[in-house]
Amino acid sequence: MQETLEVKDLCKTFKAKAGDVTAVDKVSFEARKGEVTVIVGPSGSGKTTLLYLIGSLESPDGGEINTFGENIAASGADLIRYRRRRVGFVFQFFNLISALTTLENVMLPMDIQAVPVSEQRSTAVRLLDKMGIDARLQKAKANRISGGEKQRVAIARAMANDPDIILADEPTGNLDSATGRVVVDILVRLAREDNKCVVIVTHDEGILEVADHSFHMMDGKLTLQ
Amino acid sequence: MRSIKRGFKSFYRHPVGNLIVVLLLFVCLAFSLSMLVVKLAADSQVEDIKESVGNYSEVRVSSEYILEVFEGELDKGERQRRREARSMNEEEEVADRAKFLLPEELADIFSRQDHIITFDKIQNAGIIITNAENSELAPLAQYATDAELARQGIEGLNRQTLGNLFVFEGNTDCSSASDFLNGSKKLVEGSFFTYEDYLEKNRVALVEKNMAEDNELEIGDEVEAVIVGGSRNNRTMEIEIIGIYETIEAERDSGSILDYNPAGNKLFAPLTVVQELNGTPGYVELGSYYFDNVDSTAALQQAFSQEIADGNRYELITDYMDYEKISDPLEKVGKTSMIGLIGALGACALIILLAMAIIIGGRTRELGVLKAIGATGRQVIVQYATEVICICLVSVILATGATVLISQGIGNWLLSGSVQNEVVEEGEETREYTGSYLSDRKLYKEGGLYSVAVEEDKTVNLNVIYQGDLLLYGILILFGISLLGMAVPVIWITRLRPARVLSIE
Repeated sequence: MQETLEVKDLCKTFKAKAGDVTAVDKVSFEARKGEVTVIVGPSGSGKTTLLYLIGSLESPDGGEINTFGENIAASGADLIRYRRRRVGFVFQFFNLISALTTLENVMLPMDIQAVPVSEQRSTAVRLLDKMGIDARLQKAKANRISGGEKQRVAIARAMANDPDIILADEPTGNLDSATGRVVVDILVRLAREDNKCVVIVTHDEGILEVADHSFHMMDGKLTLQ
Repeated sequence: MRSIKRGFKSFYRHPVGNLIVVLLLFVCLAFSLSMLVVKLAADSQVEDIKESVGNYSEVRVSSEYILEVFEGELDKGERQRRREARSMNEEEEVADRAKFLLPEELADIFSRQDHIITFDKIQNAGIIITNAENSELAPLAQYATDAELARQGIEGLNRQTLGNLFVFEGNTDCSSASDFLNGSKKLVEGSFFTYEDYLEKNRVALVEKNMAEDNELEIGDEVEAVIVGGSRNNRTMEIEIIGIYETIEAERDSGSILDYNPAGNKLFAPLTVVQELNGTPGYVELGSYYFDNVDSTAALQQAFSQEIADGNRYELITDYMDYEKISDPLEKVGKTSMIGLIGALGACALIILLAMAIIIGGRTRELGVLKAIGATGRQVIVQYATEVICICLVSVILATGATVLISQGIGNWLLSGSVQNEVVEEGEETREYTGSYLSDRKLYKEGGLYSVAVEEDKTVNLNVIYQGDLLLYGILILFGISLLGMAVPVIWITRLRPARVLSIE
């Protein structure tokens, strides 16, 4: 199977008063469509930074991020297109826009791409239905729903533009274990049924049981689990 | 386009926060625009006033020179004065009669200044009419002594002639005599004499209605006036009555019997006729000039000093004080409103900057999300700029409406404050003493001799008029504060690191 995502010698160092902190230190790994890749590690190990580097929300100091034949770590890479089409984010703190309804939150990534409103709506409704968000909740403001519901809406939003890669940062970190289980199941289904490349970073080792590939991250270094 | 639409939606999706900003901006903008329109109105009115007040001047013998001559005469003593008077030849007599008059040639020279628009020449003279009685003055004759009358300075007057004494006012065109212009006298029968009559020295006059009735005079009748200093063959002049006027206002509050001016005391005749009657050909009491606007005052003063003044003998008097009386409060209002405008605009700028900083600061996560899901910096900026413009637009529209309602009130309030200050300042001024007669000299335009000085309406009013200017300035202010307001999201969005804000709990 062809690699959807290939990370090579990726580095990121943050400058701080107390001294430079190497958050990601020559990390290399591969992830494929239809599989769930889980990276576990304690807080501060650099796993979120790694995810943001892959999602192009941070720029790396060195290394490569190859996806579909393009190195998005290289200067001149079309990061906007990459964020719109190739990658979808699921955050620990959901990051839904509270002034919008859940439906509007899911429509937003499509709106940015100027997708016709009717198409936005039908796609968003379909995705939310798939995530178990009913019509009543679709009309509710994002700050009026529960944590589990928020995370399911966040996953629907990540799926809005039908990306190949889903990056999930501690998707269960703010949820109780039962709700967390539901969210993980959804992410697994996305990989298995929708053929997505799902990368989850978490400190919850319980998620490892759904992983096709798992890595351990400690002090910026990634090791095969 | 989508970003603009999202900006509109965002504007009404944050009603509380945006409403607070709109209200704060509305208050400051309403104040700013009110100050602006008040300033524009004040400035515009000052410009208008310049063309109607402060553009009048007179050239005449100066008060200072008259005092000097009086003092010189007093030093001579009565006996010497009588001796000198007796020994005068005809030419010296004319010169003596004209010592407080202005050579007509000088009045004409000054009229040729660039800024002068219209001019007139005036001479007043006390003239005896043999076949008419001044019914108002005649009863006073019994109370006056010859010595007292002589002291009042009218030569040849005695108790017998007091009742036949009339004042003649001569100018170049009767209809432009100040008494008729300011409405203190009104033609009721016949016609005015014209400029042609002045040029042709036509012996015509207008008499007062009471005088005409008391003396049974009608249009076409003639009166016989005594020529001052006239020769044996040319002692009197027959003058035809061509018009009868009515006196609306007459001066009556004077301490001197000779200043007691009944309505029927005055006749209007061509200047050339009055000059001949008074024995002062080639002289006028004053030259009266209207010029383009008050800004020309300094240029005229300079021209007068160079060409006419003759030391301190002649003076140029203007109604600049009248202009100041009206324009000063308006100019103060203009200055105050300018300060208010700057302050209020500063407050607007501060409000929009702070408000946008608070709004954007509270929505950094939203900005991060937008960037994370693929929005370009430009899309995010356009979205927030639209929201800023909506806030500012609503504020400006409301403020413009409020300005129409409150600016006249603010203008009146500022004006009343300025006028009160003016009154206090005027009260503190000490009026320079020039002698009772001289200090009472009024401008000819306020009314002719022995007429009430009709006060022009010098009440200062500020009329705030709303024109396209208000809309234009509203748009400019909208543009300015919107740009300022946009600066905050632009800086914020440019410097935003989505990874940092998205990982904050």
